[in-house]
Amino acid sequence: MLVTQALLAALALFISYGGNWLIGQCMIERPIMVGLIAGILLGDVTTGIIIGASLEAIFMGAINIGGAISAEPASATVLAVAFTVTSGIDQEAAIALAVPVAVVSAFFSIFMGSVVMNIFAPVLDRVAARGDEKGLYRMQFGTWAFKYFIFASIVFIAVLLGSAPVAALINLIPANVMAGLKACGALLPAVGMSLLMKMLWSKELAVYFFAGFICVSYLHLPMIGVAAIGVILAVVGALRDKEIFDLKKGGTAAASTAGGSSSEEEEFFA
Amino acid sequence: MSKLTSLPKEDKKMLNSIFFRSFAVFAGGAGATKAGASGFIFSVMPALKRYYKKHDDFADAMTRHTTWYNITQNVGTFAMGLVASMEKENSENPDFDTQSIAAIKASLMGPMSGIGDAIFWGVIRVIAAGIGVNLAMQGSILGPVLFFLIYNIPSVLCRYYMTYLGYSLGSTFIEKIYSSGAMKIMTKAASTLGLMMVGAMAASNVRFNTIISMSVPEGEPIMLQTYLDSIFVGLVPLALTLLCLYLLRKNVNVNLVLAGVLVLAILLGIFGVV
Repeated sequence: MLVTQALLAALALFISYGGNWLIGQCMIERPIMVGLIAGILLGDVTTGIIIGASLEAIFMGAINIGGAISAEPASATVLAVAFTVTSGIDQEAAIALAVPVAVVSAFFSIFMGSVVMNIFAPVLDRVAARGDEKGLYRMQFGTWAFKYFIFASIVFIAVLLGSAPVAALINLIPANVMAGLKACGALLPAVGMSLLMKMLWSKELAVYFFAGFICVSYLHLPMIGVAAIGVILAVVGALRDKEIFDLKKGGTAAASTAGGSSSEEEEFFA
Repeated sequence: MSKLTSLPKEDKKMLNSIFFRSFAVFAGGAGATKAGASGFIFSVMPALKRYYKKHDDFADAMTRHTTWYNITQNVGTFAMGLVASMEKENSENPDFDTQSIAAIKASLMGPMSGIGDAIFWGVIRVIAAGIGVNLAMQGSILGPVLFFLIYNIPSVLCRYYMTYLGYSLGSTFIEKIYSSGAMKIMTKAASTLGLMMVGAMAASNVRFNTIISMSVPEGEPIMLQTYLDSIFVGLVPLALTLLCLYLLRKNVNVNLVLAGVLVLAILLGIFGVV
């Protein structure tokens, strides 16, 4: 029984993590999607979705930019869902436990992608020098299957061997520490949000962060409403910036270049 | 846009094939030094096969692209379209300097990834997650479904048109939009929207509720949380988020910040605050 569930958990990881990179980084490796996939395979969709959403909020900022990642939440999400479903441990505790797993997994993921996969570099050179089209296809998809098979195997072993000790460990935790673990799930999204803010932050634009915060805390607007107001503010700002830019250029020469650039913009957006 | 895609049938066939192949660009890999190389060759293969009928030229072209390649993939098809047009020129013009193909490819990586990361990761994904997480927290399947659609519809459209744009406009295009100021204005507008969404998400996802109360001799005990809320709703979450931002901007390692919040929350539990 546990073997089946461990296999399904491994499959969930392979589909979401491997699938993500096979189909154009379509974000099915994000916790919110992984939770759904793991939930469907392990037979508890609602739990999967809720755990995925909580971990998404925490790891929102942990994204893979230029191969540098700070956390790899896909396997952590699968494990959190698997432990909750198979061992019946508390969902909030599973979420808190997923956090260190994601950090460790990131190191492993980098090691795997950058170091281990180097063994295939000479293969690529040979295939290219021969002009071997079929060989290149084998190499591109063979390395894909190899890499994500390894990740999936680790999840399989973790679920198979980890379920009993993790459940026993959770039962030993006293009530007040448990309350702390639950608070983790509620406070950790602060890190995810601040990571995103760091990427977008500038002194000039900081006020918009507070505007968004107040829209929810005091005005209780739903997210789509906030997004709509945000679009309006962004357009107003962009139009003003464009006016200033054109004024700075000055003179009749500016009029022609400004006309030129706006038509390009239209082409770009159309 | 229709003007952009109105190319000869052969060109369209090639570009559509590059577009579809590009989905798997980062599927496989050969380690850090040649990351993305095999996927890039796989993606531009239709162009290489079309323009190099002699096997030696074909092998040379493949070898030329065994170098490190990394551009945010939903805008990276621009580089693929561009490379296709340059390989075409190379196959027709014997004086063409093949060095320029590698140079252009390398020079596009920084700016294109910058645009791609900011718009797709920083803004579209944030909006998608903001809407998706809120619904999913209640266990609704609409959450992940909307997340998937909101992110992927613009992503796939961009990937498609970028392929054609790269092939027909060439390398001067990126320089042009940079110097016209449009890029700067667009990045700023995108950041405005992104920050607004992050603020909204911080308010709805970072939660704090203390159980500390003061007992009053007669009547209901006074809850500390009520006082905190009357000062500013979401005071503790806002302060914590800004503290994390401060630390990250001071270049404190993100894992350290993560561990700090984890320890803080457990301590709050042990001392009976939450």
